[in-house]
Amino acid sequence: MKAEPLYFAGIDLGSTMTKVVIIDAGERLLSRVESHTGAEHRRLANRVMEEALALVGLSFSEIAYVVATGYGRINVPFADRQITELTCHARGVASLFPGVRTALDIGGQDAKGLKLKDGKLVDFVMNDKCAAGTGRFLEVIARTLGLELAELGSLSLKSANPVSISNTCTVFAQQEVTTRLSDGVPLEDIVAGLHQAIASRAVGMLRQLKIEPEVVFTGGVAKNSGVVKAVRENLGGEVLVPDDPLISGALGAALLGQDILQKAQAKGETVIRQERRLTEATFFQQT
Amino acid sequence: MMAYYLGIDIGSRTSKGVVTGDGRLLACHVLPSGVNYRAAAEKLREALLGKIGLSVSDIAATVATGQGAGNVPFPNEPVTDIRCCARGINGVFPAARTIIDVQAQSSQVIRLNGSGLVTGFVVSEKCAAGSGRFMEVIANVLQVELKDIGPLSLKSKNPVAFSTGCAVFGESEAVSRVAEGSAVEDILAGVHQALADKISALVDRVGMETDCALSGGGGLDTGLIRAVEAKLGVRMLVPPQPQIITALGAAIMAEETRGGH
Repeated sequence: MKAEPLYFAGIDLGSTMTKVVIIDAGERLLSRVESHTGAEHRRLANRVMEEALALVGLSFSEIAYVVATGYGRINVPFADRQITELTCHARGVASLFPGVRTALDIGGQDAKGLKLKDGKLVDFVMNDKCAAGTGRFLEVIARTLGLELAELGSLSLKSANPVSISNTCTVFAQQEVTTRLSDGVPLEDIVAGLHQAIASRAVGMLRQLKIEPEVVFTGGVAKNSGVVKAVRENLGGEVLVPDDPLISGALGAALLGQDILQKAQAKGETVIRQERRLTEATFFQQT
Repeated sequence: MMAYYLGIDIGSRTSKGVVTGDGRLLACHVLPSGVNYRAAAEKLREALLGKIGLSVSDIAATVATGQGAGNVPFPNEPVTDIRCCARGINGVFPAARTIIDVQAQSSQVIRLNGSGLVTGFVVSEKCAAGSGRFMEVIANVLQVELKDIGPLSLKSKNPVAFSTGCAVFGESEAVSRVAEGSAVEDILAGVHQALADKISALVDRVGMETDCALSGGGGLDTGLIRAVEAKLGVRMLVPPQPQIITALGAAIMAEETRGGH
């Protein structure tokens, strides 16, 4: 009997960005799509999934298992299983960097520190209570400065004298930045100072776990080379960043789907999946 | 000849000034601090003297306080805003033993004795969520003028519960609630409850003894006053012009250090 090729999808519905990946049974990444999350989660989940399928010419029925993660994971009506982002991130990071023991993930609205042992999550620390030390901090202040998030990294690397930002609170730091600008401080020094501030906050949180190098840094904020540099300086050690730091959670979700299926098959069970279709659902729909 | 005393409180958002003589409040004035604290202090003194027809030489002593006290360009005695606030409340409400001072960028809870001397205090200045700034951020989202916040909030029957203690995340939450159709008054009342929770946590750290007074710009917000009263289960003494209390205390201290001779 000829085995059909198996495909797995992971969807990570974050507070700011939604990420979808499709992998094959050889853990090869076939497709990845990212999109701003916006307010209508469920409709969006559907659309982003379709885009990811179209990129590789697959139909939804060919996907063996779909795992949803992220804070909006319950709003993915077509997922076979919902798994917390901590578990998915750990799985994704361990696959990208086998042997990793400490990981930092800074997302749009939270920051997480993970401790792993033999690829399994053994401890974690998290901040989702305060915007400081999350991507939100940079987003708010970039808006004040009239800058795009994507240009912050290269701009800050030009700085020779990062300014020290004394306020932790995003609201107060926003005001401090305005004052600094009117004092005539160069923009790159301010942005470099902001990167040091977010790094110091995130690493301070990470230190609640016992850090074992090297540290893997993921999440949307890890795309910012200035923050990576600041995290590296703050830790005083090497920091590893995957080529595509945004998708480690979605990748982990897809891999966990594969794990679930393999485990069931090893036991000789058939995974009976609920009937699922890529139907459009809306955020405001009452069921 | 009667001696006059000047109290100047240069805050992060507004500057307040008071002139006293013979232990009585003779004039007060409030203006925006702007970006130049020196200029604000000059303008404040000028406006106060103009109000009661005095010249600079009539002022026997000046006490400056607040975040910008160091920028006051004329001779003065600097005193911390905690001590000035305690002295000011003591002048208005001698029975007050606990003060909740809610300012634009910080909140503080002060314990004081019957002589108006500070016996303990705790300040929250690291996070916008504990200060008037949180309300300002949300009022901006809702496009409500600051003066309308209190009366609107008091109309609420179903305050929205905020799941966050962060002003930035609170802003997003307010936007979501608006999108879901929550009433503006319910969102405002929710912010008042969130602020009252933060303030109550501060009170717990320093302990509460009645009578309890509320001062600072937050004392102009009836919605906040009711929320704090409900949370702490005590009635708040609120002076008629709560925002000038610290400046009043500064003037009283100027008079007390120079007075009596």
